[in-house]
Amino acid sequence: MFINWALQEINLKIVYYGPGMSGKTTNLEYIHSKLDPSLKGDLVSLKTKEDRTIFFDFMQIEVGRIKGKKPKFNLYTVPGQVYYASSRKVILNGVDGIVFVADSQPHRMEANIETLLDLESNLKQDDNTLEKFPWVIQYNKRDLPGTESIDVLQKRLNFFNVPYFDGIAVRGDGVFNTLKSVINSVVQNVQNQL
Amino acid sequence: MVKTKKLKDGSRQVILNGKQYDIITKVLSELATKTKASAILFADMSGQLISQRGNTENMNTTVLSALAASDFAATSEMAKLVGEEAKFKLLFHEGDKRNVYLSNVGDDFFLVVVFDVSVTLGLIRIYTKKAIEDLATALEENSDDDDQDTQIIDSDFSTLLGDALDDTFK
Repeated sequence: MFINWALQEINLKIVYYGPGMSGKTTNLEYIHSKLDPSLKGDLVSLKTKEDRTIFFDFMQIEVGRIKGKKPKFNLYTVPGQVYYASSRKVILNGVDGIVFVADSQPHRMEANIETLLDLESNLKQDDNTLEKFPWVIQYNKRDLPGTESIDVLQKRLNFFNVPYFDGIAVRGDGVFNTLKSVINSVVQNVQNQL
Repeated sequence: MVKTKKLKDGSRQVILNGKQYDIITKVLSELATKTKASAILFADMSGQLISQRGNTENMNTTVLSALAASDFAATSEMAKLVGEEAKFKLLFHEGDKRNVYLSNVGDDFFLVVVFDVSVTLGLIRIYTKKAIEDLATALEENSDDDDQDTQIIDSDFSTLLGDALDDTFK
């Protein structure tokens, strides 16, 4: 969180994390497509020519003034593929809250777990841990046939019982609820520390 | 000193007071005047733009800051791979019309200077070096309004923010 008193700005950094092709960029694209132009900046995507995120996607959103303060939310995604591990690590610098976008398809379960462990190990390098850090899970692609049940996903992935949401990011289902929840977790956390 | 608090959940809170902001902006203005740079940004390593000067109306400086921070992050990983133990301190991008000079200010902040190719790099280097020293001093200044932040995010704020989000995400 970065607070600039002169401009009365409160800046939060939210990172969408998850395995390759789980829908992190799709979440941002949906948010970008639905928000009032006065409240959002450009959506910047650093992609390969195959449309895969190579470094990150970024956009900033605002909600107007609250008690004279101007909260701004900087949303980032990380590249999902295993070989971009170091890109993922650097994007977590200064992160305030994380959305873990899990792929609900059974054959992606291992990838979900592997990415979650990768997240935990990256957080640990900065003395953070998933147990204490504000984060939420979105079980994405619920519209696909043969998806894993929420019960199973919960048992395998949500070991700290963080808020979770069903998502169909291409249609926008669950996208705003997920974002609202992670922002809420961050704010709640800050409040509890004071 | 810029106040950096480590919260219990592990996240970091950086607070810049009004006085520090004024000094930073003044340093950037001076640098802009002396170097005739097109744009100068000061940001933190998480990609957060703090202050800007120069001709930035047609430049998306929010995105530029985010990209510049990633630039530093990527090159510090590169440094490790090539056996450089410290981080690279400065990055330079040369274009046909414009150049970009990026330099870190301590471990947590950096400066971006965008300038026309007609301006010599030596001039930019000399004045930027001085500006970095001034910025480092400004960031070390003790803040006198330490208690201001304790009131900032209360339950009232959370509720209002929740309503604003509901409204925005309709």
